[in-house]
Amino acid sequence: MALSLSNFLYSSLLLLLPFGLIADAATVTFDWNVTWVRANPDGKFERPTMGINNQWPLPLLNITKGDNVIININNQLGNQSTSFHFHGLFMNGTTEMDGPVGATQCGIPPGSSFTYNFTIDQPGTYWYHAHQRGQYPDGLRGPLLVNDLESPYLGQYDEEVLLTLSDWYHHEMPELIAKFISVANPTGAEPVPNSALINDTQNVTVPVQPGRTYLFRMVNMGAFASQYFWIEGHTMTIVEVDGVYTEPAEASMIYLTAAQRYSFLLTTKNETSSNFAFVASMDHDLFDKVPKGLNSNTTGWLVYDSNVERPIPALLDAFDAFDDFNLVPQDGQKLLLNVNYIMTLDMKMKTLGDGANYASFNDVTYVRPKVPTLYTALSTGASATDVTVYGGNTDAFVLAKDEVIEIVLNNDDPGKHPFHLHGHNFQAVLRSDKDTGFYDSMNHTAFPAVPMRRDTFWVKPDGHVVLRFKSDNPGVWLFHCHIEWHVNSGLVATIIEAPLEMQKTTSIPSDHWRVCRDSQTPYAGNAAGNTVDLLDLTGENKSPAPLPAGFTAKGIVALVFSIISALLGMVVISWYGAAPIGTSELQSAEKRIAEAGTEVK
Amino acid sequence: MVNVFSVPVFFICFRESLETSIIVSVLLAFLKQTLGPEREPRVYKRLVRQVWWGIIIGIAISLCVGCGMIGAFYGLGKNHFSGTEDIWEGTFGLLAALIITAMGAALLRVSKLQDKWRVKLAQALEAKDNKKRSAGDRFKRWAEKYAMFLLPFITVLREGLEAVVFIGGVGLATPASAFPLAVMCGIGAGCLVGYLVYRGGNVAKLQLFLIISTCFLYLVAAGLFSKAVWFLENNTWNHVVGGDAAETGAGPGSYDIRQSVWHINFGSPLLNGGGGWGVFNSILGWQNSATYGSVLAYNLYWVAVICGFLAMRYNEAKGHWPLMKPKAKRISESDAASDTSSQQGEVIAETYEPKKVSTDFDAARSSARQLDA
Repeated sequence: MALSLSNFLYSSLLLLLPFGLIADAATVTFDWNVTWVRANPDGKFERPTMGINNQWPLPLLNITKGDNVIININNQLGNQSTSFHFHGLFMNGTTEMDGPVGATQCGIPPGSSFTYNFTIDQPGTYWYHAHQRGQYPDGLRGPLLVNDLESPYLGQYDEEVLLTLSDWYHHEMPELIAKFISVANPTGAEPVPNSALINDTQNVTVPVQPGRTYLFRMVNMGAFASQYFWIEGHTMTIVEVDGVYTEPAEASMIYLTAAQRYSFLLTTKNETSSNFAFVASMDHDLFDKVPKGLNSNTTGWLVYDSNVERPIPALLDAFDAFDDFNLVPQDGQKLLLNVNYIMTLDMKMKTLGDGANYASFNDVTYVRPKVPTLYTALSTGASATDVTVYGGNTDAFVLAKDEVIEIVLNNDDPGKHPFHLHGHNFQAVLRSDKDTGFYDSMNHTAFPAVPMRRDTFWVKPDGHVVLRFKSDNPGVWLFHCHIEWHVNSGLVATIIEAPLEMQKTTSIPSDHWRVCRDSQTPYAGNAAGNTVDLLDLTGENKSPAPLPAGFTAKGIVALVFSIISALLGMVVISWYGAAPIGTSELQSAEKRIAEAGTEVK
Repeated sequence: MVNVFSVPVFFICFRESLETSIIVSVLLAFLKQTLGPEREPRVYKRLVRQVWWGIIIGIAISLCVGCGMIGAFYGLGKNHFSGTEDIWEGTFGLLAALIITAMGAALLRVSKLQDKWRVKLAQALEAKDNKKRSAGDRFKRWAEKYAMFLLPFITVLREGLEAVVFIGGVGLATPASAFPLAVMCGIGAGCLVGYLVYRGGNVAKLQLFLIISTCFLYLVAAGLFSKAVWFLENNTWNHVVGGDAAETGAGPGSYDIRQSVWHINFGSPLLNGGGGWGVFNSILGWQNSATYGSVLAYNLYWVAVICGFLAMRYNEAKGHWPLMKPKAKRISESDAASDTSSQQGEVIAETYEPKKVSTDFDAARSSARQLDA
């Protein structure tokens, strides 16, 4: 089965490529019914997964750059709403097609239909996934490859190979989320995956010919786990990350966080005497506890000769992965200077008043607003530039058009986090070492002249990163940690970029409004749904209140009462002790003494 | 300073020995004052010996169990005790609270009736085991006979085990050189306080000393009762969270928000040996994280104690418990008794110095012979 699946993907690539070469800016249409499908990808546990047109894994989307893509979704899940986000695509001019529920659309309720219609004008490796409450790890994710006829590396490789990585859970997300965000999990320990997959299966084989160069395109479609990846006996030459071509960079091991993509060239050996293993290994640093029996290493093979045995990969003492900060974009885009606006985000995890653990930016935990942020921006007229209308719990920032924006992300948590920005890629100008604390603009390593660019970048424990981008894409874009657990516990910020421009250029198709009506979601007004007084946010969705600090009223009352009862008790004891013996007791005492007198002889 | 003297270990030893030595010294002072070497030397010596036996055996057992636990911890590499630690603490605490409550009331009561008590005690010590009596009665007599052994024994056992467990907990981070001095100073300081209480008890008026020390004992018992409930609730919380909640420190997550009445992040009597808060916890049952259970337990304990003392006083005055019918009197004896007692009763009612009542066994015997004759 493994064999045929990778072959299927591999051969589908070959089949579609010529079509891409022939056509010229075509429109490709897909009709997708989202359905439940039972599957057992790791061979250990059969479970329901979310599939498309009764198939799981999800289809590969193979699009030529310049094409217009139309996807008609019909939600046949029956018990959950859904939506789709096309990770890494800028959606320039089509912010309403970006996908996150609560930001750019209402959730598509069961039975409803919704159409995504956008044009892809960027090359590279991407993926698509559900963007509704923690849904995609239940299977609703798939790869998206863009064929670039003008690629600078065209001609340097003979064939393409797609490898997707993923972690995999045996239990469904709603159940796991309920356990994760609960009073019984005050430290916020994320559920550890049960296994890992390559190409949504295990024991993948990639048949290769000797003396050829392949372009490997890799996507980490996981919910949580970052993965180290290496191929025994071969070097990888990185040529693209997250849709950005890079100068060739040699690496023996790469590190993919959830949602990141890498493309690399691999030249095969000239003889076919042996096969070689490649390994994807989940990063244990993220796991609270590593359960016994967890196999975090998934192995596959480059098969030169299918008759030769497939070797077991060697164990490594340490992981030494290529640092993506050192990549240089091939287009040589220089460091953006003259920053117009700095967004400082201090992230932290803490326990709130309901006893569960939540994440926050600047002490605000993201909670979905009553009205999707995009619809607020479109329906609030001039007030759309006032960040208040977007609510107190959306971590909202309003940006002006065509400015240089700097995001300073301070990680006040001892965990690694991969951060993703919708609608853009960004220049990663600084990633500090771990335990260096908050960013100090006066004292830091010099920024590179041509900084690396991508759309998902990780920050080290208790460290910081600095990112820069140009706000040239009016729309509502989320900035969030791509660990799905943290998305659910509120590690999300909302960027409203050039709202007045948006009002001029964005038009929402009628099926988007219909989906809001179908799900009884308000679609006009501020974050509380108030269309009359836009600055009045009464009734908005809020996160749980913080834990009471110290003594509350009931604590003081309890303490005072306890002290009073103790004092009363001591008064009664003293009274009893000081009082003379009662008459009746004395009488019986006399009697006992008399009896004793007669008994003792 | 840290390497030869571990402050957490000092505080642990201090507060455990403080509780123990106060209880023991109150008992010894009481015995000295009421029985004293001049009055009933035989009985006095026996009871004092009981107290010391209780202490020694308690120490021995807690050392053995403690060493066994520490050995198992280091040998097996896993703290098997920690899963049930809170249940042990809770149960022992309840038991100790009940015993102290009973003993405290008994001590106060009997001090008002020196003769009767001495007689009773003498009887108890001499009495042969009469199989005709009911099991409950026999247990009661046995408990009376060995009360002076039981109370110190249970107290020392509990304190000793607690000390070993706590020291085992903080000991992991502490070098071995820091232990001896801290342990000796802690125990020494506790014993010193106990000795001062004992001397104070010997010079003060007995009744005043008893009232003050009983108040103190009841404060300790109320704290113990409240703590016992707290430990049992903490055990439930540990199982909910899966693991030792105290490992998260004293901050959020170390307690169940739904049961919390108050919580402050400092002042935990458990962390790092507890320090001064630990002493506060020992004496008065202080928790930095109180629950509905622990607060209610504390207050209900006092309510029960208050009602108990009021009822005892009523019983002493009226001859029966409140809300119950008075016992029927036997005619002949009561007439004779009331005749002799009415004269003496008046004398007694005027002063409350029990010593003024005729105390001789001989006098009692002679009055009885008069009755016979």
